[in-house]
Order: sequence, then C-alpha cells, then structure tokens
Amino acid sequence: MNYYERPTPLQEQAYTEARQQFAEQLKQFKSNCDALHNIEANLSVTANDMSRAIRQASGRIIQTDDGTQWQHDVDLTRITSVCHRHTPAGLEFAVVECLPLKSGEMNDVLTRGNDATEVLQHFARDQRQVFKVWKDDLTAQVWEHLSEKHPHQDMSIVAESFEIKLAREMSRRETLAQNQSRGIHV
Amino acid sequence: METIPENREPTTALPVERLAYSVQEAADMLGINYFTMYRLIQRQKIKTCRVLRGKLLVPRTELLQLLQTDLR
Repeated sequence: MNYYERPTPLQEQAYTEARQQFAEQLKQFKSNCDALHNIEANLSVTANDMSRAIRQASGRIIQTDDGTQWQHDVDLTRITSVCHRHTPAGLEFAVVECLPLKSGEMNDVLTRGNDATEVLQHFARDQRQVFKVWKDDLTAQVWEHLSEKHPHQDMSIVAESFEIKLAREMSRRETLAQNQSRGIHV
Repeated sequence: METIPENREPTTALPVERLAYSVQEAADMLGINYFTMYRLIQRQKIKTCRVLRGKLLVPRTELLQLLQTDLR
C-alpha cells in the first residue's frame, strides 16, 4: 500500500462530502476525546478534590444498582462521578455512571478499588477502549457511505484518512497521522 | 375499448419492524448520546453484531432487554 499517492479530484470531493455527512459524529468524537484527555491530565487534581470532598463529607448519596450506597465526591463527566464509601477494610472508591434512560435512571459502578488514583486510571483506560469501539464503527460507517455514494470507485484512501483522523484525536500523535494521510489533509 | 380496472382491496402497507439499528439510531431510541451507547457496548451491557467492514448493529431485542432490566 502506497501511503504517498495523491488523491484524485473525485476522492477529494468524496472526502469533503463524507466530512459533511459525519460532521456531527466527528464533533462528538472530538469533544469526548477532549474530555478524556482532560481527565487523564488532571488525575492528581481530581484525587486531591476527592480527598477534600471526603473530609467535608457533604456529598449526596448515590445508590447503585447493586444496592451499594456511595457518597458523591467529584463529577468526572456529565453522567460519571467519583464516589467513596466506608468499609471495614477502609475507604473504597468507585467511578459511578448515572445513566438517565427513557425508562428511568441506571446507576452502575464502572470501576472500584481502594486507591483513588488507580480507580481513576482504570476508568481512563476503559474509556480508551470505548473510543476504539467508536472509531472502528465510525470508520465502517464511512466505508458504507462511500461505497453507496461511489460504487465501483476505489475510495480506500478516503476511508483510511478518516480512520487516521479519528486515531489522531485519540492519541494526539499528529506527526504519525500526517505521515500516513496519503495526501488527504486530515 | 375502455377497460374497467379490477376492483382490488386497498392495500395498507404494514410498517416493517426492523430487527436491528445502527448505534446512532439505538442511542436516539434510548434517549442517550452516542458515547454512552458505545460505553454500554464496550461493557457488554448491550450485545451487537458486526456487518460489512465492521459496522455495529444493535438488535432490537437487546434494546428491549436493556429497558426491561432497567425497569426491574
């Protein structure tokens, strides 16, 4: 595969069209990646905020679906929070997701443990896996879109450029993306 | 000679009940955002199948099951 070939005018046009078609998803992908980068960059700050919240002990109580009660410490995202509870073995921390479904709220423990920083790191690693699932699905949707709009045309360069763009959002390794974009500005 | 059209019963097309939805459609149906939907998939709260090039499809039964679980 030659990563240095130039895209044809049709491929350039297909890329522009696909960017418009998937603009909302690309925007959401980017903003969620930014949120994750923010969490990863501020792990120690969040851990400090948690310690302060525990000392103040003023957080609201969240009951998760397994029946456990947690004291809310810090919000990580709009629907995920770090919480803690006292156990005979000491403090236990958890990242809890409060998911408002149309049928009601689902409160789920995403990660838990006795070390606040490790719990946060584990959560961040899990989120990276979610982005991988999202990236693969979005790339497949782009492939589908391209094969419907431009049947019998080789649009692999366009789809691959999308994949690289998404990977770049996840990793922020711009150099790698630019080297592999096969001539399409991602 | 003019032909008289055959008197047929009016056909009312029944809506086709889809078996699966894209992630975006499934998220819209549940009233949650994309990312949350992918989180549910990654945590295997919702099972999906993959079609061409790996596109994810969410079976309708999985959505119903999630809602039933949630309604317990």
